Amino acid sequence: MAFEPTKQKYTGAIRQVTLGTGPKAVTVGGRSCFPFYTFEGSMPNAPRIAMEVWDKNPGDDWPAAAREPFADVLDDPAAWAKKCVEVYGAEMIALQTRSADPNADNRPAEEVAAVVKKVVDAVDVPVIVWGVANHEKDIEVMRLVAEQCSGKRLALAPVEEGDHKQIGASCMAYGHVVVASSPIDVNLAKQLNVLLGNLGVRDDNILIDPTTGALGYGLEYTYSVMERITQAALAQGDDKLANPIINNIGIEVWKTKEAGQSAEEAPELGDPKMRAIMMEAVTAVSFLLAGSDIVVLRHPETVKLVKGYIEKMMA
Amino acid sequence: MKLIGENLNIVSKKYGKALKERDAKTLQELAIQMAEAGMDYIDLNIGPAGKYGEELMSWLVPVIHEVVDLPLALDTSNIKAIAAGLKAHKKGRAMINSIMVRPERMEALLPLAKEYDAEFVGLLWGPEGMPRDENERGALCAELLFRATEQGIAPERIYIDPIQTPVNVQQSQIMSALAFMKMFPDIAPGCSSTIGLSNVSNGAPDHLRPILNRVMLIIWKRWGMQSAIVDCFDKELHAIARGQRPELEALVHKVEDGEPIDMSSLTKEEQDYVKTARVILGYTLYSDSWLEL
Repeated sequence: MAFEPTKQKYTGAIRQVTLGTGPKAVTVGGRSCFPFYTFEGSMPNAPRIAMEVWDKNPGDDWPAAAREPFADVLDDPAAWAKKCVEVYGAEMIALQTRSADPNADNRPAEEVAAVVKKVVDAVDVPVIVWGVANHEKDIEVMRLVAEQCSGKRLALAPVEEGDHKQIGASCMAYGHVVVASSPIDVNLAKQLNVLLGNLGVRDDNILIDPTTGALGYGLEYTYSVMERITQAALAQGDDKLANPIINNIGIEVWKTKEAGQSAEEAPELGDPKMRAIMMEAVTAVSFLLAGSDIVVLRHPETVKLVKGYIEKMMA
Repeated sequence: MKLIGENLNIVSKKYGKALKERDAKTLQELAIQMAEAGMDYIDLNIGPAGKYGEELMSWLVPVIHEVVDLPLALDTSNIKAIAAGLKAHKKGRAMINSIMVRPERMEALLPLAKEYDAEFVGLLWGPEGMPRDENERGALCAELLFRATEQGIAPERIYIDPIQTPVNVQQSQIMSALAFMKMFPDIAPGCSSTIGLSNVSNGAPDHLRPILNRVMLIIWKRWGMQSAIVDCFDKELHAIARGQRPELEALVHKVEDGEPIDMSSLTKEEQDYVKTARVILGYTLYSDSWLEL
């Protein structure tokens, strides 16, 4: 008798979620097996990369290696986003509205939303708008963004239990996708999706953000929770967790001490640029293996590496 | 099943305050309520209690025994307070809650259990903390029994506690603790068992805690659990413990056995029992809205 490898039986599948509109719209999810286990099921859509753009010049918040490729556009978020698409082939943009942070610049919501609108209009790829995780401010900003970019199928993040009603309602009213964000806990991830469902948000308008820890800074906690979400969705048929997952990686990796140390400060850690890029790439690949559908990345070199990895895994 | 009332507890707002203020009347009222609810023991949880533990326990035991005759479970990590409680305990046989499977705890507390001929809860918490699975629980249990036997303590004095974890944190640990119950009679012949039941619902919304506790108790009961530390105000839970809800027990057993269940033929209460059993047993993932799904 010929050898028959054991195969996992799946009782569920990840639902598909589409971001953006027109020819460059992106659909993620649809997987009926564990990540890249195409010998057991189908994976109709490859995981995607969103390139990170800030709505303000990040200045010293970014290590030199991260600023260098964008030196000519750091003051102009729309030009920056365009460069990501036209020069680096970004399939999606993740715009971080850092200028809204009440503990820093605290730019008024109207101004923040106007910049978001400019970026959205400047590119033809889907845009994820990532707030500052301050409920009051995010509600204010996202309400304006949702309205002014009506029908663009943006993804609005992070939507937490404390602001899900307000931002969820804005998404429903203007046709955007909710990024449901919970603090590294599978039960809370499920609960938030239940609450969004009670509110009336359709299941295929939800992405899960499990909260992302960078390599060396909690990666393994995020990884475990993603595995549990994926197992619940696929092996237990848990409908409330059968959504694609997004990881906001760039911002977590590049703020670590090791990503910012110069060659003089940490000679034993090697070339600072390559070091940070590798940290970002390793974090991204780990999460792709745990079931990520969208990874948000900062450096063009990381994007190239991870894109190559995805192509090989999908071949 | 024997029931140990848990409500006289330092973390309770009302009774914690009464303990701190040495308010005998409030505590005695609770003790009488516990006796009326049919508790077999009253747990006296005074917390670690620092340097006041000895004095507090010496005061508390006679205060409670002034109004009830129930045996008392001395619940503190404070060894001096345990010794003081044992000394003050004149009605029936006291219980030490608990003795962990850590050398320093066993060395200090097992001789006290022997000296006062007390019962004790043997908590399967080892030198490295919480056991990871049923086998580690088995090893800790064997270690504790060996030490107790060395001291000449009879098995009927010992209540092994395999540790209840919350369903929303470590559901898989519930399964390990249940699996341990299967090997328990062979590892510990003649010993009893007990469980800190309410921890299963720790972190769940307050109004939903009782059904988690009740379904968990049904499951423990089927696996041979002989007693539980429980909420003395949950009458329905007590009825289950006394075998007065056989239809609900049968329903939970059906879930456990994977039998098909026609939800539409069930009352709302029965449906809630089925959904809760599924969550506790890990068939579906817990979320605070589990009864609405």
